[in-house]
This record gives sequence, C-alpha cells and structure tokens, in this order.
Amino acid sequence: MPSAHLRVALVGNPNTGKSTLFNALSGLRQHVGNYPGVTVEMKKGRFSFHGIDFTLIDLPGTYSLAPRSPDEMVAVDLLLGRRAEEAAPDLILAVIDASNVDRHLYLTTQLMELGLPMVVAVTMTDTAAAQGIVLDCEKLAAALGVPVVPVQASRGVGMDALRSALCHGGKVPTPPPFPDAVAGELDALAAACPLVPRFLVQRLLFDVGGHIETWLTQTQAPTLPAQLAAARQRLAAAGCAVSGVEARTRYGWIRTATAGAVTKPTTRLTTRTDRIDRVLTHKVWGTLAFLAVMFLVFQSIFVWAKPFMDAIDAGRGWVGDLLTAHTAAGPLRSLLVDGVLKGVGGVLVFLPQILILFAFIAVLEDCGYMARAAFLMDKVMSRCGLNGKSFIPLLSSVACAVPAILSTRVIENRRDRLATIMVAPLMSCSARLPVYALFIGSFLRDGYPWWLSGLTLFGMYLIGFLVAPLVALLLKRTLLRGETPLFVMELPAYKMPTLKTVLFRVYDAGSAFVRRAGSIILASMVVIWASLYFPYVDASGASYPDRIEALEADDAPEGSAAEAARLQGEWKRNSYLGRVGRGLEPAVAPLGWDWKIGVAALASFPAREVMVGTFGILYDVGEVDAKEVGNADDPKAAGLKATLQKEWADDPIRGKYGVSVALSVMVFFALCCQCASTLAVIRRETRSWAWPAFTFTYMTLLAYLGGFVTFQLGRVLTDALGG
Amino acid sequence: MLFPLDMMRSGEVAEVAEISGDPGWVGRLAELGLRAGCRLKVLQPGSPCLLEVADCKLCLRGGDACQILVRPVS
Repeated sequence: MPSAHLRVALVGNPNTGKSTLFNALSGLRQHVGNYPGVTVEMKKGRFSFHGIDFTLIDLPGTYSLAPRSPDEMVAVDLLLGRRAEEAAPDLILAVIDASNVDRHLYLTTQLMELGLPMVVAVTMTDTAAAQGIVLDCEKLAAALGVPVVPVQASRGVGMDALRSALCHGGKVPTPPPFPDAVAGELDALAAACPLVPRFLVQRLLFDVGGHIETWLTQTQAPTLPAQLAAARQRLAAAGCAVSGVEARTRYGWIRTATAGAVTKPTTRLTTRTDRIDRVLTHKVWGTLAFLAVMFLVFQSIFVWAKPFMDAIDAGRGWVGDLLTAHTAAGPLRSLLVDGVLKGVGGVLVFLPQILILFAFIAVLEDCGYMARAAFLMDKVMSRCGLNGKSFIPLLSSVACAVPAILSTRVIENRRDRLATIMVAPLMSCSARLPVYALFIGSFLRDGYPWWLSGLTLFGMYLIGFLVAPLVALLLKRTLLRGETPLFVMELPAYKMPTLKTVLFRVYDAGSAFVRRAGSIILASMVVIWASLYFPYVDASGASYPDRIEALEADDAPEGSAAEAARLQGEWKRNSYLGRVGRGLEPAVAPLGWDWKIGVAALASFPAREVMVGTFGILYDVGEVDAKEVGNADDPKAAGLKATLQKEWADDPIRGKYGVSVALSVMVFFALCCQCASTLAVIRRETRSWAWPAFTFTYMTLLAYLGGFVTFQLGRVLTDALGG
Repeated sequence: MLFPLDMMRSGEVAEVAEISGDPGWVGRLAELGLRAGCRLKVLQPGSPCLLEVADCKLCLRGGDACQILVRPVS
C-alpha cells in the first residue's frame, strides 16, 4: 500500500499538452510557486483519488535535463530533491506526444536515470492517428518497464486510468546502458566529486560548457577541470566522444524499445498542420496573415478594453464621491480620494488591456500559431540583435509595456529577454496619447495645415519604433554582449486551444500584476499625493482646502470657481513638489520648459497619465480628465488648452517658440520611463533592482537629451525662418 | 558528396552526415531529434529555414544551418 500522500513531478517537452493535462488533473486546486534567485515559476496542483492525496508539480517544458542556465537547473534540482523549499517527488509523470514518440522519449530516458518510479502519459493520440501512426501502449510499457497510459486530457479520456496508475505508484525503470568506457569515466568522476549525485556527474561529463560544468568546476577540487578534459579526451579516443555518445546511446535504445510498439506509415501523410502551414509560414501570405492577426489583437486591446476602463474610472469616481460625502475635509479625505483611490484606480485601469492581451497570447500560443509568428519575424528582429520571439512583446508595448514585459517570458535566451524588456517601454503606450493630444491640439492645430497634427502624432509613435531597435542593438553590443544565441525552435502541430488553459493563463497574468505591481504603484501615488498636498496652509496660516471648500459651496458668490482654481494652483506651487519644481527650473530651462512643465513632468514619474491632470491643477483650471483632452466640448479640457495658449503667448520663450516647446515636451514623454508599474514589473521579472534602475536612468537621460535637441533645433529653425 | 544544409533547396530530402560547432548546440539539436544519421526535408530554405525532422518542424537560422553537413537523398 503506497503512502497516503504522493508528490508527483509532471515533466515533458514544450507543446505536448502538458498544461492541459495538469489542468485536467488538478482543476481549480492550483497555485503558482516562485523560486528565489531565478525567473522560474512552477505550478502546483492538488487532487485526491482512491484515498490518496496527490501534489502535482508542473515543471517548465523542456527538451532535456541538460541545464544551460540557473533557470533550467531549478527543474533538475527539484527532481533530485536538492531545493530546500521543495521535497523530492515520489513519482515522475512523464508526458510524451504520440505523434513523435522517439523524440519525446529522449527526455524520458534521461528521467529514467533519476532512479524514481515513473508513469508515462501519452498525449496527442488523435493527432497521431490522423497521421496514420499506431501506438501499442502495452508493448511500449513492456519495453520501457513503466506503466504507459494514453490520454486525451481536453476530453477527459483516459484520466481515471492515469490517476489509478499514479495510485499504484509507478515503477522504477532501468535506464539505457551506456558503453563501458563511459561508465568507467563516470565512476572515476563521481569519486572526484563526493556528495554530488551521480545524475549530475553524468551531466558534468556530457554537457560541454553547460551549467553543471560551470558550477562544479567552481565548487569542487581545482583538479576537476583537468580531470574532466582528460576523461572527455579518453572517451573521444575510444570512439565515444561526449558530443555524440549520449544522443547515439539514447536514440539507439529508443529505436529498439519502440520497434514493436510504434507503427508508422511508410510515406508520411500530409497533415492538416502541413496544409495550414503552406499559407501561414509563406513569405507573402504568411506575413499578410500575421499582420492581420496583429491588427486584430491591437484593435481589440484599444477598443474592447475601453468600456471596461471607462467603467473602472466611473467606479473610482463613484467611490470618490461616496468618500467625499462621508468624510470630513482634510488630509485624511484627500489621502483616501486623491492618494489611495487614485492609486488603486491607476492599477486597476490597466487590467482590461492586460487580460485581453493575455487572452490573445494564450490562444495564439495554445493553438501553435505563436511559433509561426516568431518564425516570420525572426529575420527582421535578428538585424537588431533580437530574435523572432521579441516581436510580439515589442508590438504589445504600443498598448501597454506592463503586459508586454510579462509576455517576454516566451524568450528563452536571457540576454535577448533582458534586451527586449529594456526597450519595450520605449514604444509609445496608450498612456502617452493624452499628452500628445493635449500639446498637438493646443499648438499644432489652429493655423497649420490639416495633416500636420496626424503627422506629428505618427512621428511620436515612430520615435519608439526607431529608437527601441537602436537601443536593443546597442545593449546587445555592450551590456548584454555575448555569443549570438543559436536559434532553433520547434513549430508544433496546430491544435484547438482549450478554454481552461486560456483562462488560467489570463488569471495568472492578471493576479500577478495586481498583487505585485499594484503595491508599488499604490505606494508611489501616495507619495506624489503627499508631496503635492503638504504643506496645506498659506502664508497667513489659513488652510487651502478649507478656503477652497468655502468657495465651492453652493451659496458662494459668482466667480468664486475661478478663484478656487487659482487657489488650487497657488497651493500646488507652494507644495513640496512645487518647490522642488521651481528649484528644478534651471535644469529644465534648456528644454524650453518653465517650472510648471517641470513639476508636471516630475509628478508624472509614477504614472504618465498624471501629466494632464497635474497640468490642469498648475494652470489653475482645476483638474482635467485625461480622457477628455481630445473632446472640445469638455469645458475644462478646452479651458486648459486656451489657458496654455494664452499663458505661453505672454511668455518670452514659450511665446516665440511655443511649437518647439510643445514638441520638446512630447519627445520627452515619448522617451521617458514615467511609469512605476513598468519599473515594478521589470523588477519582478528580472528579480533585481539593477535592471529597473538601469531602464529608468537610460530612458530619463535619453528623454532629456531628446527634449533638449528638439527644443534647441526648433529654436534655431524658428529664428532662421522668422529672422 | 556533402553539402552544407543552407545550400539545399525547397522540398529536397537529405541525411545528416555531421553537425559541427558549439557542443551545447549540437546537444540541443540532438534533443530536438536533429542529429547525425537522421533524415530531414527542407520545407522552406533561407534564413530562418524550415525543416521537417522526424515528424516535427524545426526552424534554424541560415548561419547556423551551414554548420550542418548533409548528404542529399534522391
């Protein structure tokens, strides 16, 4: 009788339907486990069957147990019980794809070396049948020496047989025997590395330049590298060079094992996947189809998310009114309404876009299209030192950098992934649009050709499209320099996406964002609120909020609304942030800015959407809703434009060079990293403060430089044309 | 007669004779089923190219594909 609790590790190649199997086994009883120091997340699920409680650990999809990075080492360590937070599994559930058994058994033969009992689940039996492949699971089980269960997880076929096989605890298989020369060298190396499991010693011998070699040569006796090199040399001389002996031995063994169990048609049948791929990987049709898919994705992000975002904003307004009605005026109310509520709203408002983008990504990935997109885009992306998989995150960044950065997880190469994360925030996201709309509407519309405003807006987006690849190239040549990663990618067979997989993926992305990025956004919004709120008394000791409230009362005399707005402005000017802004004026003067633009830009660092609202406060027209900027009927937005035009006209610099200043502000916003959420997500994804700090620094410097060049060029041009 | 893989044309079938280059890469390709002795079909030449290897589709870049020497099968 097995113990009443079994820990099962689920291992298999990517695209084997492993996630579908995991979801089918554990249902809703699942959560994500993080591992310190690495970007790996593993899902854990629970289920019970015949009185036995199972804990299922879903290891990331992998083609082998030869770790190349600390991330890949986590899976190996976990299987060996070498991670403190996770006990070794009692049982391995290996997943193989019926349509390509030989390839998938390669990993299975490596798992056999672990000495743990094993059960093999065969997925994609329907795809295999369509290709004319016949699999005899009983014969395969006899050859492998472990139970083999065919399943169709999406339809629930074979699930009870699989659960029951797990209840019986599986069997410990005998791994394929290696040539005697290899076994001898392994014994000698194992003696040189005491306390290291034999499985890892084997990897040390086979994986030239792998993670284990790096790690053990640093931690073991200094003679190890020489000993290892000598062992590999002796094996090469004996005709068992480590470069080929593992593949030869394993595939040779697999050929014998599957000989009677798998029957393939002599000529390969043309599958549905082949027919679809004739169009979707075609240079012309495939590219057109890709562009159409991308258009659909982004159109949906913008259009479908809008009602939800509006609803969240409305909800925030409603709660704000409720709070205002039920609390006394003063710092507490202001903290709740302008600090906490704005912070929470600022977090939640991104959520619809994130969920929609991730639903698309999950569907595209689950059906197998994502690999085709990466294949089509690889040529373009390789020119700037990235690979095909960077394309979708970069394009998603036009909507919002936060989901884009989360979606870089599909990029396996660490340097490519970091480079993609670093440049993604340069793409003009939807939050920059209100800023562009305000300045283009105020300074580049009246009295200019009709096409100029559209062209300017296009130019702002173009900045991102041009600068991001350049920065990526620069990073890949300097900070993230290294050998060009060898790009090899599997294009899996197409399949119907399963609803469960998509829903779990969307849920994971949403909750990860709300929990982890949320706290940082909220905190920074509160800090900005406080530095704009305090001190809240004027020179005579009277409180600004009290004076404003008196002016806003229903029985206040005519014209008091304007006076209230003026008081708001005076209050913000004298606040801590206002004082800092005025102190900063010499620094922003070369960009053609006054202290108001400086303060608005400064206040926008936690979230650039704040810019338009802060501008409204500073220019004494009260708060302007960022979404109403394009709306000429909104009195406050129209008022802000008029006030901006009038104030700037009265100013010697901004009067003469208004357009240059407006462009300088827009270029600054196009390039600047004014988004605490983005930085929080970068911190989360890179597990380091260094990368968000670097992103913030380089983007801010770039933005300052961009603003400076724009204004100075504009000034010279204006002088030349005017004079 | 051996050819580098990137010289093969669309639809041609070949047997892999030798894969050179970084041992880590050679190992990685073996995991994916692309190894000396296996048969492949070029579905789409160029960079990246699209290959059919043992019932699955792999894509490689042209520069990497030239490290793979193949013997065409008629």
